[in-house]
Amino acid sequence: MAAYTVFRAAFGYLFLVLMVRIVGRRPGKQLTPFEFVLIFYLGGLTLTGIVGDEVSLTNAVCQILTVGMCHYVLAWLRYRSSRVAQLLDGVPLFLLEQNEWRTDTLSQMSIQDDDVMDMARAQGIRDLSGIRAAVLETYGEISVIPVEENGE
Amino acid sequence: MSARDFTSAVEDSVPKVEEIAVGENLDFQRQWWRFERGIWIFFLLILIADVLGVFGRGWLAKAQRTDDAHAMTLDYERVERASTPSIMTFHFMASAINNGKVQLFISEDIVKALGAQRIAPQPESSTIGNGGVTYVFPAAGAPATVQIQLEPSFPGIHHFRTQVAGGESIGGIITVVP
Repeated sequence: MAAYTVFRAAFGYLFLVLMVRIVGRRPGKQLTPFEFVLIFYLGGLTLTGIVGDEVSLTNAVCQILTVGMCHYVLAWLRYRSSRVAQLLDGVPLFLLEQNEWRTDTLSQMSIQDDDVMDMARAQGIRDLSGIRAAVLETYGEISVIPVEENGE
Repeated sequence: MSARDFTSAVEDSVPKVEEIAVGENLDFQRQWWRFERGIWIFFLLILIADVLGVFGRGWLAKAQRTDDAHAMTLDYERVERASTPSIMTFHFMASAINNGKVQLFISEDIVKALGAQRIAPQPESSTIGNGGVTYVFPAAGAPATVQIQLEPSFPGIHHFRTQVAGGESIGGIITVVP
């Protein structure tokens, strides 16, 4: 049944979007081996259920079109509504501001102060007193704003 | 020429904290953390249900029915998964064997919707009609067993009926999940 294969493709895409969003962002510019395994494994398992035993080119093309359409609709909704954008991407979060750690945010996002200092060192900041603010971005990177940058 | 503007003035639209334009929304984030805690519990419940067989291939999915005349007992899975094989087993008692033969009727749903693939042992004959197929198997004596491999292609809820000559009809419902 063609409608069933289209439904499977759409469900698989949306389910993966939800899973990746829930599994959460981890700090770092590159994927760790741990995340590498997770992403490939999730993709492989989803593929098995989506394709099933229907290996025709027609099925592949229609399922790719379905995933493309789903992606386009999500991107359009994200552009039109800031609420959807927050749901899909999350929001940036302060990890450190005014010389105080946001301990609740750090624990909820499973981030340690060492992770923030890693990013600070990459910018030539020697210790925490040189950080004005640290922000966990929606794509997982930690932006560190140095004290000197703002003339303080 | 179109009169449409291609530029607009830069506005400070991103909310600031400590003069840094970040756009943090802690209220939303706290709601999201609550949602995450709930959904992890939901995922855990789904996994427990899966292991128990709520979605097939487990303890809760297995079913057994015996006809009122005690001529046949049927083992099957009340929940099956699409494109996944399962076995439906018919156990025949002495009253089901007449003149060295067992005559078994199975309804169309088992053959079509539930995707009967193989039947073991092979029947001596098969006859279509009355909304199903009637198989005849040679049998030396009780107990005797026939197995049908099912592999439904699509999800759905299917009612089936089966009967052995010398026994009463057995009906049931099989739910096929995606």
